[in-house]
Amino acid sequence: MPLAGRHVISVADFTRDEILHLLDTAAAIAQGPRRELLAGKIMATLFFEPSTRTRLSFEAAMLSLGGRVLGFSDPGSSSARKGESLADTIRMVERYADVIVMRHPRDGAARLAAEVSRVPVINGGDGANQHPTQTFLDLYTIAELFPELRAGRCITVCFAGDLRYGRTVHSLLHALCHFACRILTVAPRGLELPEQYVAEARAHGIAVEAVPSLHEAIASSDVLYMTRLQEERFPDPVEFEHIKASYRITAAMLAAAPPRLRILHPLPRVGEIATDVDATLHAHYFAQAANGVPVRQALLALVLGALR
Amino acid sequence: MSESAPRIRHVEAIAEGTVIDHIPPAATLKVAQLLSGAADQVFIGINLRSERLGRKGVVKIAGRELDQRALSSLALIAPGATVSIIRDYRVVRKFAVPLPERFEQVARCANANCITNHEQWPTRFVVVGERPLRVRCWYCERAFPASELALL
Ligand SMILES: [Zn+2]
Repeated sequence: MPLAGRHVISVADFTRDEILHLLDTAAAIAQGPRRELLAGKIMATLFFEPSTRTRLSFEAAMLSLGGRVLGFSDPGSSSARKGESLADTIRMVERYADVIVMRHPRDGAARLAAEVSRVPVINGGDGANQHPTQTFLDLYTIAELFPELRAGRCITVCFAGDLRYGRTVHSLLHALCHFACRILTVAPRGLELPEQYVAEARAHGIAVEAVPSLHEAIASSDVLYMTRLQEERFPDPVEFEHIKASYRITAAMLAAAPPRLRILHPLPRVGEIATDVDATLHAHYFAQAANGVPVRQALLALVLGALR
Repeated sequence: MSESAPRIRHVEAIAEGTVIDHIPPAATLKVAQLLSGAADQVFIGINLRSERLGRKGVVKIAGRELDQRALSSLALIAPGATVSIIRDYRVVRKFAVPLPERFEQVARCANANCITNHEQWPTRFVVVGERPLRVRCWYCERAFPASELALL
């Protein structure tokens, strides 16, 4: 699977086989530590907007494989602040690093950087557009929980929250189109899943069905993928409080849930999952976040050619 | 043009140059503006009768044959128009405006947060739907009706 030298910009750039190979590689790395695998390699982290969570996960992945890390995480101190173009910043950094991980507030910045760079660029989030490593770790988590996904047997995934603007949802849904599954959605009026994503899933033979509330979702899903509701999407603060209350999962709501139900969330959460859920067998969001390290380890090892 | 019956010409005939016909009336002036150089002699007809469109626009540019780049921009604002190349008052070549697979450097992305609106960088759009024409920005990956894009 020739992933060496590849840029990682958007999940749509990867075939089903490539995604599965990445998940297999991540599983193998998670089994046995490879402390010298990336010795002598340098990863540059260019964070034009702060994201501590993503940056630490990439840095932990690189350091744990024996690689080294350089970069900036404060856009105020970067050359971009002095008016240097993104293309010029990349042309400078590619001379110091074997791989570039970039987060940028503008949509499409990673694609542009990849066109300039001679070393692989991994997109750590470009504005509201893509965040492929989040999707890979989400998929890794689901495939680990439900091995039948890979065997071609159908599982039910419910997306809840802001499905209109939530890029993690769109991107994961796109990736799930490679597999047999059934999709349920729960969203406030006006924040429903855009028709183009519904159409894409249906074109892949995937049933998509809106359900009225979290109660139905809990009763009939294998995976419940929760997302944040952002206050700025609601012109009326009273309406926001009201809707927020109906998009909150508590331990009590899970009392009669099927035992196989697992709850995922890209984190950070802001109240949509009550902390009393954490102790239930359904909570899987912290394990999901921890999967970011093996998935990013695998990605780094593959694009750097240390693993095939 | 292809009609053979004698008819009244609504727009001056040109000896050499390019005729763009079957333009949606509202796009006619835009087409003229886009394609003509400052020194070109340009003849414009708007809201002419057309069997196909009901009303149409015609733009005739004397002395110049359109190049590939100009045609590519044309597909974005007047898909379905026809182009005739005129030499010595005769049509030597006639074709529908070709729809390219992608538009390079002809329009600005309608997404204000797109990197191409903040860096000096050529824009690129991929055609994702034909009727009506829809394009997706290669960079920010958003799809737009072609009518929402501003030409460069
Ligand atoms: Zn764009």
